[in-house]
This record gives sequence, C-alpha cells and structure tokens, in this order.
Amino acid sequence: MMHQRHEVYVQGAAAISAFGVDWRGLGAAVTTNSLALSPARQLADSHGSVIASEVAAIPLAIDVDARACKLMSYPARLNAVALRQVLHDTGWENGRDEIAFYLGVGASGGSVAELTEMLRASIDEQIFSLERFGTAGLAACNPLFAFQLMNNFTLCHGAILHGIGGPNSAFYSRGNGTVAALSEAMHLVASGECERVLAGGADSALHPVTWAQLCREGFVDEGFIPGEGAGLLALSRESDKALAELSQCEFHSTAKLRSGAATLVSDIIQNFKPTVDDLVLLSAWGVPSRERLLQACKVSGVNNVIDVAACLGDALAAAPALAWVAALDLLVAGKAPRVLVLNAGIDGGLGCIVLRSVA
Amino acid sequence: MTTAVISGFGAVSAFGVGSAQLFDGLASARSAVGQIRSFDASHFPTRVAGEVDVAAIERHWIMPHLGIINTDTRVLDEFESIGAWRDRKIVFGLLAAMEAWRNARCGIAEQAAGLVMALGLEQAFLEDFAPFFNDKGIDWQAEQAVRSTGFRYRSDVDLAAQLISRLLDLTGPTIVNASACAAGGLAIAQAASLIERGTASIILCGGADSMVNPLGIGGMTRLGAPSPRCELDACRPFDSRRDGLVIGEGAAMFVVESEQRALQRGVKPLARVLGYGSSQDAYRVTAPRPDGAAARTAMQCALKRAQLDGSAVDYINAHGTGTPLNDVAEARAIRELFGAHADRLPVSSIKGAIGHLMAASGAIELAACVMSLQQNLLPGTAHHQQKDPHCAINVIGEQPREEKVDVILSNSFGFGGQNVSVILGRYQ
Repeated sequence: MMHQRHEVYVQGAAAISAFGVDWRGLGAAVTTNSLALSPARQLADSHGSVIASEVAAIPLAIDVDARACKLMSYPARLNAVALRQVLHDTGWENGRDEIAFYLGVGASGGSVAELTEMLRASIDEQIFSLERFGTAGLAACNPLFAFQLMNNFTLCHGAILHGIGGPNSAFYSRGNGTVAALSEAMHLVASGECERVLAGGADSALHPVTWAQLCREGFVDEGFIPGEGAGLLALSRESDKALAELSQCEFHSTAKLRSGAATLVSDIIQNFKPTVDDLVLLSAWGVPSRERLLQACKVSGVNNVIDVAACLGDALAAAPALAWVAALDLLVAGKAPRVLVLNAGIDGGLGCIVLRSVA
Repeated sequence: MTTAVISGFGAVSAFGVGSAQLFDGLASARSAVGQIRSFDASHFPTRVAGEVDVAAIERHWIMPHLGIINTDTRVLDEFESIGAWRDRKIVFGLLAAMEAWRNARCGIAEQAAGLVMALGLEQAFLEDFAPFFNDKGIDWQAEQAVRSTGFRYRSDVDLAAQLISRLLDLTGPTIVNASACAAGGLAIAQAASLIERGTASIILCGGADSMVNPLGIGGMTRLGAPSPRCELDACRPFDSRRDGLVIGEGAAMFVVESEQRALQRGVKPLARVLGYGSSQDAYRVTAPRPDGAAARTAMQCALKRAQLDGSAVDYINAHGTGTPLNDVAEARAIRELFGAHADRLPVSSIKGAIGHLMAASGAIELAACVMSLQQNLLPGTAHHQQKDPHCAINVIGEQPREEKVDVILSNSFGFGGQNVSVILGRYQ
C-alpha cells in the first residue's frame, strides 16, 4: 500500500528507551551497536533475572504525576512522557486541540498488583469462582482498573494530559499497525487535512503476562530480547526548521509476504536505490524476522545496515517508531543523506519508510 | 475524487446472526437485552446485557451461520486448536464478514481487498490463572513449566482479523483499529479514505466486540458505566431517568469499494460514504467534555468533508449510551451545531435495544443506518419514554418511524475521548 507523496516534514521527535529520554543520541547509540541491556526490574519478581532493554527510571521533572500514573498502563505512561517531550521539542504550545495523533499500541497491560488482589479474592484452592469474583474480586481492585487495560488509553491518557484534540486513532500493532499509524499521519499532512500530526508507537514486552506469552510461543527460545519504549515523530508541511523529510511510508500485507518476502524486500531496496552514503535500519520482531531482513539486504548488496533491535531489543508496537527516531538522529547528525527503515512484525507484515535530509 | 460506496454488509447482534435479524428487531421495536446466559453472572452487580443467543460457541454452531462451502476448513481447524472460539468477538466478526462478503457478491476477483477492522481489547480468561495461583500470588515458574499452544490468560487483539483475512485469502493489508467505542466508525472512515485517495479499490471493514465476559462486565461495572438496575430497560438513551449503559456484543462488517468498481462488476451500491471526521475530547479520563465541543468538531469535520450544510442531514443515529453525562453532552453538541434544524432533525439510539457493542458499536449502528436508507425506516430509541429537558433534541421514541431520508449522520464517542462521525448518503 503506497501513498501519493507531497512534502511532509519532520519537525521534532521523542524517544523513550533504554538509552534514555532524549531522542538525540539514539542514532549514535544504535550505530555503535552498544547494547543497553540489564536485568529487567519489571520481571524480577515474576520471572527472575531476564536480560532486557528496559527504560531506566524516568526523571521526575518529565514524568507523569503519581495520581495519573495509577490510571495508566506502563506503555501509556511512556507515551505520555514521549508526548511531553515531542511537544517541547517542536515548541507546539498553541492550538493543540487541532493536532492529530496516530499511535501503534500493543496488548493491554494493567498492574499485576491489582490483578493479583483481584485473583486472590476470587480463587480458592486453585479454583476460580465467579461468585467470589462477582462479590469480592471486583471490589478488590482499583475501580478505574479498566483504564489501565484498554489499549486505546495508551494514546488517550497522553492526549488528555497534553490537550491533543485533533483527529486520532489507535492501531493495534504487531509491527505494521505502527506503520499504518504513520501512514495515516503522513496522508493527513500531505493532503492538507491537518497542519500538524503526531505519530508513533508505545509498548512494553516486560509485562509479566506478555513475557509469559512470548516464552510460551517460543520467541524467547529463538533469542528474543525484550524491550520497551515510546517513539514519536512530529509531522507538518512546514519546511522551516524541519529536521528531515518523510518521503515514503508503506506497509505490506502478510499474505503477500508468505510467498515472497525476500522478493518484496529486494524490490523495496531497489526502489530506494541506496548510495554508499545511505543507511538502512532494520527493526524486526523476533530473530527469524531479523535474519530474513538481514539476508534480504545482503542479497540486495546493501552494506550500510544497522540492526536497531539488536541494540534496543524488541519493543513490539514501539519498535518501528524507535527505529524511525534513530534514523532521524542519524540524518540530523549528518551521518547519511537518506535512511530507509524496514520493519517486520511478528505476523510477517513488512513496513518501510524513507527519511531524507533537508540540510 | 473517487466515491466510496457500501456494496454489502453483515451483522451479528443480540437480535441474532444476520442483518435481517437486526432489521426485524429494530423494525418491530423490540429490545434484545436480557439476563446474561453465557456465564453465571448471578453474583455480579450487572446481570443484563445485549447478548448473542449462544452460551458457549462451538464449531457446530458456527458452521451453519458461516454460509460458505468452498472454504478450506483447515484455517478454522487451526484457530479452533488454539481455542479461538473462547473469544466470542472472533466468531461474531467472522460471521458478519462472511455475510458482507456474500451480500456484496465478492469472490476471487475481490481477494486483493484490504481489511480494516475495529476490535476490542483482548478477552481475559481469569480462570486460567487459578492452577498457578497460591498464597504468594501467581506462580510464574509453575506456569512456565506447563506448555500449551492455545490462549492462556487472554486472547490476542487481532485474531478476528487474522482469521477473516486467511479464510478469505485476502492479499491486501490488514489494519486493526483499537480505538474503543470509536473504533468501528473510524474503521469505516479509514476504509473510505483509502478508497477515495486511490490507495485501495475495495476493503472489507467494520468491527467486532464482546465484553460479555466476567472481566468485561465486571470492569465496566467498577467504572460505574452500566446501569445499576438489572432490568431489561436498563439502557434508556436520552430519557430523563437514564442511569447508565447496557453492554452488548456482536459485529457488523461492510464491503466498501469505489463506486466505479462496484458498478463495473454489476453490484448496485447500498449507500455512499459521504464524509467522516474525528476528534479527541482531551478532557478527562473519566468523563466526556460536558460542552460537547469535541463531539461537535467531529460532526463538523464530517459535514465539511461531505461538503454538506447541517440542514442537509435528515437523521442522526446517536452514540446515545444512556449514561447521564454522555447523552447530555451529545445532545448539546447536536443542538449547537444544527441550531434550529435540531428541532426537526430526528435522532435515535439503538443501544437501548441491543446494548453498547463497544468497538463494534459504530459499525452496527452504521449497519442500522444503511437499513434506514434501504427500508425508509428510522429505528426507535428503546425505553425512551420521558424527555430530558437537558437533552433538547428531537429524539424518536420507542417506535420506529417510517420516513425516507437521504443523508444520515452516525456518531460514536469513545471511552478516552475519541470521537468519530460518519455520514452516509442514499445511493440514487
């Protein structure tokens, strides 16, 4: 799926990741292949020592206040912090009620402590009782627990906190949903429907229920490194003070990929026509996807390839967005005139975007 | 610009499986809200829902409704093996999609279609934790030791979309909108947008959801959203006595394509998608904007895109949840946007009859709008008996109204402040 392109510029960005809360420097970090890995705090109680790419403590000055935090899943909190950062980065202080916002979001992830209290009141002798759940289990949890669970609140909490009132959608993402979010954002700007649009993704693989599922489904055995974060790009048609141009955003169906992933990647790279100065960044969910992308790049003769997931881990719905921001940082730092970012989701979906320097 | 049209649709609701069942129910002014039967809710504060009449979904219930005979059932086998039928919305979405696909006379030539689907959050299976729960809480080491291929604790959000795409062998992209109660309207709006801008020529779109399960019903109850009365008239949209919503379940799916494509393959469109607009309240987590300003913006954007003046709108299918705050905010938005026209402009909500289908609500309500265009019948507002002076709009009462209309606006305003309005037009 490819869109008619007009000029769409990146005015700012944000990235919350294991490398910190400042997007500038993320590109350098992934270029040097420096791993930001440590035992995951969030999984210590449930799963022991799991090596992960985990966001460090968020500085109080930019964090969400404790009261709001109680209503949020962790990805929602990461997104709210990223939103604050990108609005600061762009200086978009006024007219926020017209800013559009499109976000790739992941699975629901409420507080395990709340869940445990609910279950404790509902389970007796390892039997779950609907009667106990109805009479005591529900009352044992925060009445607003549902706001932690609802996937769309990953977007909504931040929008509410920062007054972002324009067109919006949350897309469930196994990788491609985040690209779909950027694609819609790009269209809105290119068509002139919106002046300013935010797009990206936020997610965490470090929720115990998510991690247990990833283990069960065999991803961990394949070498999956859990990650998390939030990445946002701020788009507008204004070229003044632009950091880069977003010149392409595509996402492709899983059905096509089942039969011809390598061909499709090869076609994308050929259309990109990489020069020796251009870069290709890869953001793949899971080791097999990553290896397929690496192999396709090799076959296509591309040498300047950076595997973002190898440095940042697999941040699920956030992974493509973090790679875009890393690409932006590399452009701004003058490391390449153009960057192609390829992502592959768990379902085999393939996304690609091209950022080009405006320097 | 290319015109997006609806060329077929399907529906599953508390009235039954099929769009005809939905129409018959609405036309006869019945309410399908009843006591919850799919699980024992007798100890829950909320015990009524707009529930599809099936207790536990099994293959023998699905197949007669599926209505296709040439499909390779190995895909169904695969999904059954992972326990997919435990998540009711997966089946409802599948059945609605198949009806839409048939009704639009789609076949192999349409398999390049994309899929844009609104889906609610994962269904939680709290009982799955029980074998691993001890005095210290969840024993994650024990659960790790027990391997299984099916769901545990929760389903995946996008499974319905995966199943439909694979069963129909669709080769277009799949997009899953997860914008809660606004998702259904947003999915159809996005499908129309993709058609209009030439990115796609045909898309299967719509929504499916079910929160008629212990955590769904329980979680909503903790929020205080459902009516505290467990009566069959629990949801009374725009009624002065309203005190909350009723949760429903089901799905509605549409084939949206370019007018040219539909005509070329000999299919008469059922309706045009004239416009759509979305906005975000950006107000509070727990309440809609009381002034309805963002809701008004969504409707304004839809009118602007449709290049219509408000006076051209003949009927509004309201979000109308029956909650005290939502209805008054929506009524205010309608009144302020449509001015004196609001005195005559008929408005109704079908949530009193089938409940709030959450992520699928916008889709099922647009299905009702297509029926209104087709059958010249505006659905009534079940259990609306006493007008609320704070809702100063022209609400259709319990009985449906025979009236030919050409332009219909449908609102969906979601938890979290996400709003969408979609305008459909009669296909002449």
